[in-house]
Amino acid sequence: MKKYRNLLTLSVVVFVGSLLLSFVTVQDKKEPAPWDVPEKYVKMENPYAGDESLDRVGKILYIKHCRSCHGNNGEGDGPKAASMKTKIHSFTSEAFKKQADGVIYYQSIIGRDEMPNYESKIPEEEDRWALVNYIKTLK
Amino acid sequence: MKNTILYILLGLFVCTNLYAQDEESADVVEKDKPVRFAWESGMLIDQQTAQIPTVKTLEMVIQHKFGPIDNGSTDLWGIYAPAGNIRLGLNYVVANNVQIGWGISRRNMYNDFNAKWTIFEQTRKNQVPVFVTVYANAAIDGMNRDDIELYNFEEPGQKFDFGFSNRLSYSAQLIIGRKVTNALSVQGAVSFSHANFVPQWHDHDRVGLHFNGRLKVSPQGAIIFNYDVPLQIDGISEQHPDWNSTNTPGWDGPYHPEPNLSFGYEVSTSTHAFQIYMGNSQAMLLQDMMINNNTGIDFDNFAIGFTITRLWSF
Repeated sequence: MKKYRNLLTLSVVVFVGSLLLSFVTVQDKKEPAPWDVPEKYVKMENPYAGDESLDRVGKILYIKHCRSCHGNNGEGDGPKAASMKTKIHSFTSEAFKKQADGVIYYQSIIGRDEMPNYESKIPEEEDRWALVNYIKTLK
Repeated sequence: MKNTILYILLGLFVCTNLYAQDEESADVVEKDKPVRFAWESGMLIDQQTAQIPTVKTLEMVIQHKFGPIDNGSTDLWGIYAPAGNIRLGLNYVVANNVQIGWGISRRNMYNDFNAKWTIFEQTRKNQVPVFVTVYANAAIDGMNRDDIELYNFEEPGQKFDFGFSNRLSYSAQLIIGRKVTNALSVQGAVSFSHANFVPQWHDHDRVGLHFNGRLKVSPQGAIIFNYDVPLQIDGISEQHPDWNSTNTPGWDGPYHPEPNLSFGYEVSTSTHAFQIYMGNSQAMLLQDMMINNNTGIDFDNFAIGFTITRLWSF
């Protein structure tokens, strides 16, 4: 009987501990520092702005490369987001959308820290801008 | 006659000028770019695709085939079966559309060294209508073959040992592929395989045909298939048509390797492609499949397998 009581106590401790630990993990996510975007990118013109022929390309690239962290709608709620140390902000916010296209290009393609570099995975400029255009359409 | 020659010369001159104009206008035409998203990975089940990642990319390939499903729930449709095959490979892209690789397989303890070059890429405006890829592979059989002694037919009664050269086998493949629609990509290929050592009465050389494809059913998912046919070509066969059990003691009938059919589902992400499938061959290397596959397209021979690729960029 004592054996079962110990087992029950242990199970309760593990369960409650795991529960508390899960809260700690969420609270531990740090706010991302402001992006230090080089002037070259801030001033960069988007040569494919409004090019609807690239909509499908942008969507495929987003689903392939971005969705697992940023979620279906860019809310930062993808399945891998929980394992990130940095909080992922929404692409649908006004603060994000009002950034220059070149800034979004830098954030998306060059990256930093937990945001990977995609220069080799998306080698073509046209495709990179297609992705930027698609990200800006997320609502 | 003089007039005829004059007209021909004049015609040639005009044509030459027209050709020159075409060349000039061709320079102005924007360069056609390769099509996007034809394949998700350089591997399609256990065959190659035209896809080669960008330069300085390392690809890890994990291939696994379980045992045949014929025992049903007894061995959990082959998952608990001792038979099966595993291959671990590393590929590295050394130059634009040129990849070299190395792999080890459980079956025959192969070490294989391979290279792939996509010579032409299909372009968006059809200036190049297809992908053209060449692939070559050399493998070393690592099994303990001490029990094998080879007969020296030139000096009857003499035997010589199973040497290193007997462990080598090769294959080369020419692959032509096309992205037909945004959902459908197909490939056809012809291969030549050679093994320095084969069981008695078997052929050392084999020409094969290969067909494979991918049908996308969701942004990240696709149905995939593979069909490999070893051809029986009498011109290169060492199996003499007059052989029979009377005039050739020990001969137990013509041997012809079986075709391979595989079909499955592919899921891909930024750096991974995961393919789960069923196929009737236990082989994974091209030459092994073309020369040694003796399990035909029979339901009982099918085995569950998977292929995973993972990319790292440097």
